[in-house]
Amino acid sequence: MGQNRNKLLGLFIGNISNAIIHKILERAIQIEEIARRYGKEIANSFDIARRYRKKINPLGRSFPEKDVEEIKERIIKNVKSELGVRIARGYKGISLDDVEEIVLKLSRTPE
Amino acid sequence: MVLMGKISRGSKMDQIYIPKNREGLGIGEYVIVRGVLGGEVRSEGEEIKSRRPFFYGVEEKIEGIKMRIIGEIFRIVDESEGKYENVIITGSFLDRGFGFNDVDILLVGQGGGVEKIKKKIESGIGIKGHVILMGREELIKGVASDPLYLLMLSRFVARKRTSYNVKRKINYKLLDFYLLKSKVLLSGFDELNGNEKYYLTRNMVAINLFVRGAKIGVEEINSMIKKIFELGAIEKIKENMIDKKDFLKKYKKFYDETFELVMRGVGDGTK
Repeated sequence: MGQNRNKLLGLFIGNISNAIIHKILERAIQIEEIARRYGKEIANSFDIARRYRKKINPLGRSFPEKDVEEIKERIIKNVKSELGVRIARGYKGISLDDVEEIVLKLSRTPE
Repeated sequence: MVLMGKISRGSKMDQIYIPKNREGLGIGEYVIVRGVLGGEVRSEGEEIKSRRPFFYGVEEKIEGIKMRIIGEIFRIVDESEGKYENVIITGSFLDRGFGFNDVDILLVGQGGGVEKIKKKIESGIGIKGHVILMGREELIKGVASDPLYLLMLSRFVARKRTSYNVKRKINYKLLDFYLLKSKVLLSGFDELNGNEKYYLTRNMVAINLFVRGAKIGVEEINSMIKKIFELGAIEKIKENMIDKKDFLKKYKKFYDETFELVMRGVGDGTK
């Protein structure tokens, strides 16, 4: 893996992680209109991740299985760590059980 | 154009004051003064023709061409199928000059037909309308709990007289959610354009001011951004003319401070 590819992959993973954290916090807040009001903003992280993906090889097809596994693991680690900070500070209602499920669902979604 | 004014008593002559922000009717022009019925300006056929807009927090004179655009937007909304309690024009369109990308239009009420209004504004006026439809109750909730709503309604032009002065209600979990949006800048600096960077910075600064109970307005936020990043002009961010290393260092520091403020609230058990 080249140094530039590693950096871009890190940014790609960072933005997907951010979008997932948003999704889990949205569930924790439990305000009905939040998804309608802020859906566009949540999509922003995905949009930036997509922009980075377009710069990472292989282009136009899925990542190799080995990379997919590594990406999934890194996203799960990122998300859990970011949410863990909140739980440690007394944030109630965050469920870490959903993280793997959301990441798995996402990895099956076509780009 | 038709303006409405009230006759007030003068020492030698009575007078009618008209707003400085107006479309046409320049100094030295002759006008006809005619009485009105029920507060609404009517033509001889008794049809309502126009009302003057109401300005909130708008301190500088709005350019004549923008006033004409505002008038045209009000007309398009009036003629649409939806019924709206009020129409609000806000955002960078009200800034001096013509650096805006679109016009932020907030339709207050339950009426439909937003897509048609958007299309009519684009085809009729030739500018992009960012139209949001929102019920009054939802808007009030937003103003009370969301710094960006507060910012949006710190300066606007409205079709009808209104007031959105509501007490702030801090929901720290909600603020944490809003703040997370600004974290994108730390990992997406290279992919974001100047306006996106400004928007995310503004979001973070607005949250910081909101938690600290400070006044939120375009001027207050811009002046804070200039102070944090030691910038001479806010346009440096919008035009993407900032030093990446220096900017990110200051951004991260301010983000962490704001996150800490919010987390302190979450930890205190506040909703």
